[in-house]
Amino acid sequence: MLWDAFAGGAEGRWLITFEGVTKRYPDGTVAVDDLDLDVPDGKTMVLVGPSGCGKTTTLRMINRLVEPSEGRILLNGDDIRQQDPARLRRGIGYVIQQTGLFPHRTVEDNIATVPVLNGWRRAKARARARELLTTVGLDPALGKRYPHQLSGGQQQRVGVARALAADPPVLLMDEPFSAVDPVVRGQLQEQLIALQNELRKTIVLVTHDIEEAIKVGDIVALYHPHGTLAQLGPPERLLGAPADDYVAGFVGFDRGIRRLSFFRTDGLSLSAGPVLPATATAASALKTGEPWILVVGGEEDLTPRGWVPADRLAGLDADIQLKDVAADSFGHTFTVGDDSLRAALDAAVLSPAGVAIGVDAGGRVVGVASFDQLRAAVQAAQVAQDAVDAREILDAQAAQQGQSPGATR
Amino acid sequence: MMWSWIPSNWSEIWELTRENAFLGIVSPLIGLAISLPLGVVAARWRWFYPPTLVFVNVIYAIPSLALFIALIPAFGLTDTTVVIGLTVFSLCVILPNVVEGLRGVPRPVKQAATAMGYGPLRRLITVELPLATPVIIAGLRVGVVSSVSLASVGQIIGVSSLGYLFIDGEQRDFPTEIYVGLFMVIALAVVCDLILVGVRRALTPWASGRNRAAGERPRWVLTQRAPARVS
Repeated sequence: MLWDAFAGGAEGRWLITFEGVTKRYPDGTVAVDDLDLDVPDGKTMVLVGPSGCGKTTTLRMINRLVEPSEGRILLNGDDIRQQDPARLRRGIGYVIQQTGLFPHRTVEDNIATVPVLNGWRRAKARARARELLTTVGLDPALGKRYPHQLSGGQQQRVGVARALAADPPVLLMDEPFSAVDPVVRGQLQEQLIALQNELRKTIVLVTHDIEEAIKVGDIVALYHPHGTLAQLGPPERLLGAPADDYVAGFVGFDRGIRRLSFFRTDGLSLSAGPVLPATATAASALKTGEPWILVVGGEEDLTPRGWVPADRLAGLDADIQLKDVAADSFGHTFTVGDDSLRAALDAAVLSPAGVAIGVDAGGRVVGVASFDQLRAAVQAAQVAQDAVDAREILDAQAAQQGQSPGATR
Repeated sequence: MMWSWIPSNWSEIWELTRENAFLGIVSPLIGLAISLPLGVVAARWRWFYPPTLVFVNVIYAIPSLALFIALIPAFGLTDTTVVIGLTVFSLCVILPNVVEGLRGVPRPVKQAATAMGYGPLRRLITVELPLATPVIIAGLRVGVVSSVSLASVGQIIGVSSLGYLFIDGEQRDFPTEIYVGLFMVIALAVVCDLILVGVRRALTPWASGRNRAAGERPRWVLTQRAPARVS
């Protein structure tokens, strides 16, 4: 097994710690096998693996819905078995796939559940609930409805709001987005990432979807089928340096391409390219000698309009303006700096000219990148990332050999 | 049919209807009060339910008159005898619905309640029982309707009810009295049933707009058992 080291949370500390935790059921099934796992404060850890791998059992042990057979679990340094389960659970948000919303309570009262349990006055708890509806991107007017009057995606958002109501430091999410359609799932994932950037909770999220794990996770724990970890590390490391064939197989065939989404386009060199305004003539376009001309709105307006092939211009009147010539669609552009190399590469693949169009935040053309330029940027980024990975892996091994696991915390 | 008989005997008909209503309504309410704790136990400890259900069904098979007679040595020819008998019968109808209602609460809902920090008792009272209410009331409706109808049998052991009109009408060979008794029993049962429908709607505003009868699948309503009792 390859144990990767990585920095802890906001203050570099662990919030949840599993120490040699095993869960064995009476029929002899071992769901979780001698698990050591540290969840850093303020980060999103995703537990991912095939069904029956123990990821959900791991999650449910944190709020004592399942009790471990061996080992102990520390929350904020304290053994959770020393705490009253009901009290412990009120400090841990819980979101599940089937939402588990109370059908007999309005959306508002569902969200107000834990604050009311904690003794808040109902009016205050409901005000808090309305506030949270906005936080999760819902209209507060929905608060008076019952859960069955909402769509699946809306219900799932209410589930997240309910989990956040008492502002718990920890959020447990069990396949939270698996029951909604792919479009809504994408929106919910984006929302979670945005929420997490704002709230900085310690999130443990279970999924069987490696794409989801890579998208929302700061750290991914990938399970073997029988309750042990195959690899633990940031998602880009699972893609770039899978610990073994099992991990490589699980993260999928196109892991090289997907890893590019973790590389920024800052280091990508751009060419000025054959960019001409729509008012330029066919003759001036042919004079560039380029096989493809990128047409923009005008001298001042640098938004891209499309690609015009030089051979389409050859037989035309020399004075005809480019705006009167049929242009081919450019697919999509990438925002230089903000978008990843994956987006830039995709833009190049989709472009008829085989060249990606780089734009600034305002959508104005900054330059273009060819496959050659992209390849150079990818190689540079990979070399840099591999060096980081290798150093951290070596550090982790040294730490494991030199010290007890506890001493590294 | 002698219509003029009705107004001239209205005060007696009304008195008998009130007595019948008392027997037919109080008994299933006591039955409900007993079914709730029993049902909670049966829903939680699953082994407890099958033997209980067998026992309850055996009791339900006892003819009502036989049960009343069996209770006479202990309680005499009193209301108590009839109320106990009817309570036992309605218990047989209500208990399965309490158990099914509690078992019908979706697992994710129960799990979410626990995970949010509800203790077992609080979860039962504020989550599980409210969600089981439509199914429990469905059972109560059958219990009330059959008790209202069965209360008339108590007349045979001398406990006053609308059953008096059947016996008296038969002895005097006066069908009008029998028809009036029959009409009043049915009317009473229908009124009680409608009241319970209203109670359910008031208690479960969340179920409106949804399939209103979601909790009343035929398996739980057990309406086919009630008429057998009347004979």
